[in-house]
Amino acid sequence: MLKFLNRDRLSYAVFFIAIAIIGLSVENYYYVQLLTFIGINTILALGLNMLMGYAGQISLGHAAFYGLGAYTTAVLTVHYGFSPWLALPCAILLSMLVAFLVGLPTLKLSGYYLGMGTLGFGMIVHIVFREWSSMTGGSSGFIGIPPLEIGPVSFSQIRNFFYLVWLTVLISFIVSKRLIHSRIGRALRAIHDSENAARAMGINTRNMKLEIFVFSAGLSALAGFFYAHLVSFISPGTFSFIVSIKIVTMVVIGGMASVWGSLLGASLLTMLPEWLHAFSEFEMVVYGLILMLVMVLLPQGLTRGLLDIYERTRSKKDQP
Amino acid sequence: MNEPDRKKTSHKPLLTLNSIAKAFGGVQALWNISFDLKEGMVQALIGPNGAGKTTLFNLITGIFTPDSGEILFDGRPIGGKKVYDLVQVGIARTFQNVELFGSMTALENVMVGQHVRTRCGFWSAVTRTPWMVKEETASRKKALKIMAFVGIDHLANRRSSELSFGWQRLLEIARALSSSPRLLLLDEPAAGLNTVETRQLGTLLKKIQAQGITLLLVEHDMGLIMDISNRIVVLDQGEKIAEGTPREVQSNEAVMSAYLGRSEH
Ligand SMILES: Nc1ncnc2c1ncn2[C@@H]1O[C@H](COP(=O)(O)OP(=O)(O)OP(=O)(O)O)[C@@H](O)[C@H]1O
Ligand SMILES: [Mg+2]
Repeated sequence: MLKFLNRDRLSYAVFFIAIAIIGLSVENYYYVQLLTFIGINTILALGLNMLMGYAGQISLGHAAFYGLGAYTTAVLTVHYGFSPWLALPCAILLSMLVAFLVGLPTLKLSGYYLGMGTLGFGMIVHIVFREWSSMTGGSSGFIGIPPLEIGPVSFSQIRNFFYLVWLTVLISFIVSKRLIHSRIGRALRAIHDSENAARAMGINTRNMKLEIFVFSAGLSALAGFFYAHLVSFISPGTFSFIVSIKIVTMVVIGGMASVWGSLLGASLLTMLPEWLHAFSEFEMVVYGLILMLVMVLLPQGLTRGLLDIYERTRSKKDQP
Repeated sequence: MNEPDRKKTSHKPLLTLNSIAKAFGGVQALWNISFDLKEGMVQALIGPNGAGKTTLFNLITGIFTPDSGEILFDGRPIGGKKVYDLVQVGIARTFQNVELFGSMTALENVMVGQHVRTRCGFWSAVTRTPWMVKEETASRKKALKIMAFVGIDHLANRRSSELSFGWQRLLEIARALSSSPRLLLLDEPAAGLNTVETRQLGTLLKKIQAQGITLLLVEHDMGLIMDISNRIVVLDQGEKIAEGTPREVQSNEAVMSAYLGRSEH
């Protein structure tokens, strides 16, 4: 019984109850929608965190996978009459396939070069979204993406969509935590700490990096799928370079190598533009400033950083 | 029937180097190196700084490939094999400059050492199949056992980066042992240790040898080498200048001049 109630399970239970309570108590449509966006961004941040926070491989082009998920489901449901639930695995698999093909050469790179490689990839995909007008609607965007429904339950009801997204967040957390606390997770963290030593321990670092890159792309595509069906309209701007940077910022602010940090980072960066309406033209500047401040003051991210400060003050108090 | 067989294996070379050469750009790091390492032996590899000792380790572990020559492990050529294949067949190593996984606990470090002896993949990690849970438990148990063997089990849950240098050296050995190697390569395991720690290290290395693991160690501490090694190979400027028992090597002219000649500047 006690074994059953370990810390992870307890936090999942609390998380589940929190979703239910928030879902039942928040009345305002606008807030429910905002919370749903936070959920989508959490999936996005979690995906990148698995790659960047745990395996230590940077990607500056993750918006591309987000966009691939969104555009694939848009094209398949609107142009080809797929059911969204059939389009979902297609979107995820396509995104993973692209990640595999892109990762094969780029993950040989490291540090700045990997950053540049993924950045270039993200830009190319963005251009494809914009220029392949017959498929994607070009820069004016793609309209009329159908809402999701399962039998009698329609997710055009924002509250239902909220539950759907946040249950998916919960499942993604469980999956990621399980990965992290396994042989695979240890190998990923080993690569992060010392690729040299990881290789000497017999870890096939190249395959391992590729696998987590593909996994990460799959989560991003899942987020893109939700986004497309939630807002029913997508345009290339949603998947541009700035968005890639925004995802990186979420991970860094929330805390690298922290599953719950992804939630925090995504929450802050989703709400920030709402708070800072006046700054909308300077969005990029604000992200840049936040990134710089966090890097200088709390290089481990808010989650870890605040915990450290808490522990430090507590141990100071304990001392006479 | 079994007896003579076993006797034979104990004299069989586990590792054979046949005229190995390796150059980096214009630097001939190794030239025409040949020697055998018999199973169950402790062999030391000594030589002044820059002699090519670490480079030789990198060749044996598959990080670099030799420009020419051949390396045999257990009678089979290892040319073209990947590092992870070589860990799989039983070659493990430690690093001259300790290279632990700093953000992970000591126990996790040792568990990573078992990477090639375990097989949980992405899918089984996510689904937590019963065999995966069993493997994880067994892996943890084995890691703790090895840590106890090395004498660091009380540090299991400490972050490896927080440990003192002496403990870190031992942790690296535990991590390497964790892959169940037949050949263990130690690159200056006593560097940075005090005399007490060095003596304890000597005892540990003998214990490892008693487990049937063959050791090849690079070391500068002559006391330790004389104490534990069965044979010594001496390198100087990429070439083998002597080989023999500790006593033979100690009285070798070429070795003396290589060491004395170098220590003047
Ligand atoms: N990766 C590399 N690239 C270029 N040159 C290298 C490389 N590794 C080693 N060398 C060169 O090869 C020679 C042998 O170096 P090595 O590190 O093998 O010496 P060593 O015997 O281990 O010395 P030490 O006792 O200082 O550890 C040196 O001249 C070194 O500069
Ligand atoms: Mg060396």
